[in-house]
Amino acid sequence: MNDRPKQDRHSSDAQPASPDRRKMLLGLGLAGGAVASGLTPGAAFGASTAGEASQPDQALEARQPFYGAHQSGVTTARPPAGLVVSFDVLAATRGDLERLLRKLTERIEFLTQGGPAPEIDPKFPALDSGLLGPVVTPGNLTMTVALGASLFDGRFGLAGAKPTHLQRMPQFPNDALEAESCHGDLLIQICSDTPDTNIHALRDVIKNSPDLLALRWKVDGYNAPARGANQPPFTPRNLLGFKDGTANPDPDDNSAMNRLVWVAPESAEPAWAAGGSYQVVRIIRNFVEQWDRTPLQEQQSIIGREKKTGAPLTMAAEQDIPDYAGDPKGERIRLDAHIRLANPRTAESQANLILRRPYNYSRGVTKAGQLDMGLLFICFQADLENGFLAVQKRLNGEPLEEYIKPVGGGFFFALPGVPAKGLYLGQSLIEATELPGDSAHPTPRKSS
Amino acid sequence: MKSIRTALLIGASSLGLALAAQAAPMDLVGPVSNYKIFVAKGVDRLVTTTAAFTAAVKAGDLKKAQALYAPTRVNYETIEPIAELFNDLDGSIDSRADDHEKKEADDGFTGFHRIEYGLFEKKSTDGLAPLADKLNKDVVELQGRIKTLTIPPEKMVGGAAALIEEVGKTKITGEEDRYSHTDLYDFQANVDGAKKIVDLLHPLTVKADPALSAAVDKNFAAVDGILAKYKVGNGWQSYDKVTEADRTALKGPVTALAEDLSKLRGALGLN
Repeated sequence: MNDRPKQDRHSSDAQPASPDRRKMLLGLGLAGGAVASGLTPGAAFGASTAGEASQPDQALEARQPFYGAHQSGVTTARPPAGLVVSFDVLAATRGDLERLLRKLTERIEFLTQGGPAPEIDPKFPALDSGLLGPVVTPGNLTMTVALGASLFDGRFGLAGAKPTHLQRMPQFPNDALEAESCHGDLLIQICSDTPDTNIHALRDVIKNSPDLLALRWKVDGYNAPARGANQPPFTPRNLLGFKDGTANPDPDDNSAMNRLVWVAPESAEPAWAAGGSYQVVRIIRNFVEQWDRTPLQEQQSIIGREKKTGAPLTMAAEQDIPDYAGDPKGERIRLDAHIRLANPRTAESQANLILRRPYNYSRGVTKAGQLDMGLLFICFQADLENGFLAVQKRLNGEPLEEYIKPVGGGFFFALPGVPAKGLYLGQSLIEATELPGDSAHPTPRKSS
Repeated sequence: MKSIRTALLIGASSLGLALAAQAAPMDLVGPVSNYKIFVAKGVDRLVTTTAAFTAAVKAGDLKKAQALYAPTRVNYETIEPIAELFNDLDGSIDSRADDHEKKEADDGFTGFHRIEYGLFEKKSTDGLAPLADKLNKDVVELQGRIKTLTIPPEKMVGGAAALIEEVGKTKITGEEDRYSHTDLYDFQANVDGAKKIVDLLHPLTVKADPALSAAVDKNFAAVDGILAKYKVGNGWQSYDKVTEADRTALKGPVTALAEDLSKLRGALGLN
């Protein structure tokens, strides 16, 4: 194991309660989560060295804020373990929907901040699964709640408040969507330093919402650790072996995030949606055996980057900006190379930038006896039309399609954050759709 | 800090009440002996109906055998928490093809579902006679064993939860009776079996934890309400007919019942 991050570990995570400080330390780029906390997945998953075994792992105490204008888990540095789970909402009334949102708020607040697991007479089923032991460690957990277009049907009277571009994910030309892995009323993206933290959080939510949520689909992913570089950017690699995320906008650049990721207070979107973000999830299977049988130079021209360094073809460094204007015929980087289609780097295409936050997934063997693995693609944007949809439209028909097959996912809207204690996730939506005499609230509340 | 959080979480549920008013073990004597009678009558009915069902199979009367399949099985499903205490018999009477490595072709695959496979998938009684004989023998054996069984109170109380877990695990998907699509018979039988236990315990539960008792009653009613739509005469529609929306709608009350019934043993102070 690499010795280098250890110093960071003791200096940064000995102060777990300061998210701001942590965030500052994490401003290293996408792989910063793993580096700054000193965790390669090996360490995070329990393969600790002798000295660490005798004392509690300080890194598992690191926590992300729960309250704020935005939910955590969007611009938060991507930790090593990610899980996306989609539910059908079983709530039958607006009152039940509000109960669900309040319950999720309560659970997520506790799980992300940590504390002693509640105890009870052992004659009863325990209230906590016990996966993390008697004290629930936050482990940098974030749980980001997003709503699907189907929740805005007739059931809860939300139809008039649907975010402008929110829609059921369409079938794109290269897709082979499996119904059991698509869509959903409510999505939770669960990310943390360790897979058991994510599973603990998921089981807690399921146990606490038996009559309100039904599981629909779930994908577990991991984020590759930084490797093979001594200095930033520590861009992780996807399962095609290429660095993925080099041209991502900087999640610590607030003005870029306000422009590209967060729905602004004054926009075409309903007022309640301000501070939220469109979230796209795509389960993209990679045909890795076939890819591994493809000549390296062909792989590189399909992607448009050097596999080893991540540099745009014919350039020196990963962060070099390709000069497409000076290469109009695609002699250096093919016109249909993945990076050129995804981000043509024109003045107009700046409006199409999206914040990608993907995970790799690996989950068994297909009927044909091939590996079932690929990219759990996740991205956030303030405008779905200008964001993912515009990018995907350019990518349709790209040569990379021979090696990838999207099989599931969906379009969702990540709710605005919970500004302060006592308020709940989605409150602005519920209140925006209230009718006079609405019985959504079990107890009378002052109107604002 | 710890005690405050713990107290808040527990106080927020109805469990605090349950701890205050546990039933004395003696209070359970009545419900348990009534349940024993219920189970004994159930297994008697299982033996009688299985005799008629297997006779039709052996006579080669496909139509009659098909018609008797589901109404015979319900007598097993209703008393499953007790029947499945006998592991060996549960395997030979009620296992599904999935439980066997070679699936339908496996020699160890016997009992109701193996006969169901012949009657509904192969649409024939050919080769089913030995299986019919074995099923008959097995249910008679079960009857004998139940006669001499002392029902442990925690098995009875836990049985309500076990039946509902069964529904949530294998009935909602329609995989239990995959050849005949008669899942709704089993579904209702499991629910009835659980409801019987809950009803027998009601005087105790309502004292120990009224909120839990009310929640359970409410969710039983919700399940019954959805199932009622699919009732035809004395029987049930094919599970194919249950809409996707209703399958999803059933998950809520079934899962909530499973959660609530899992607290029943604790609420009554049973180990």
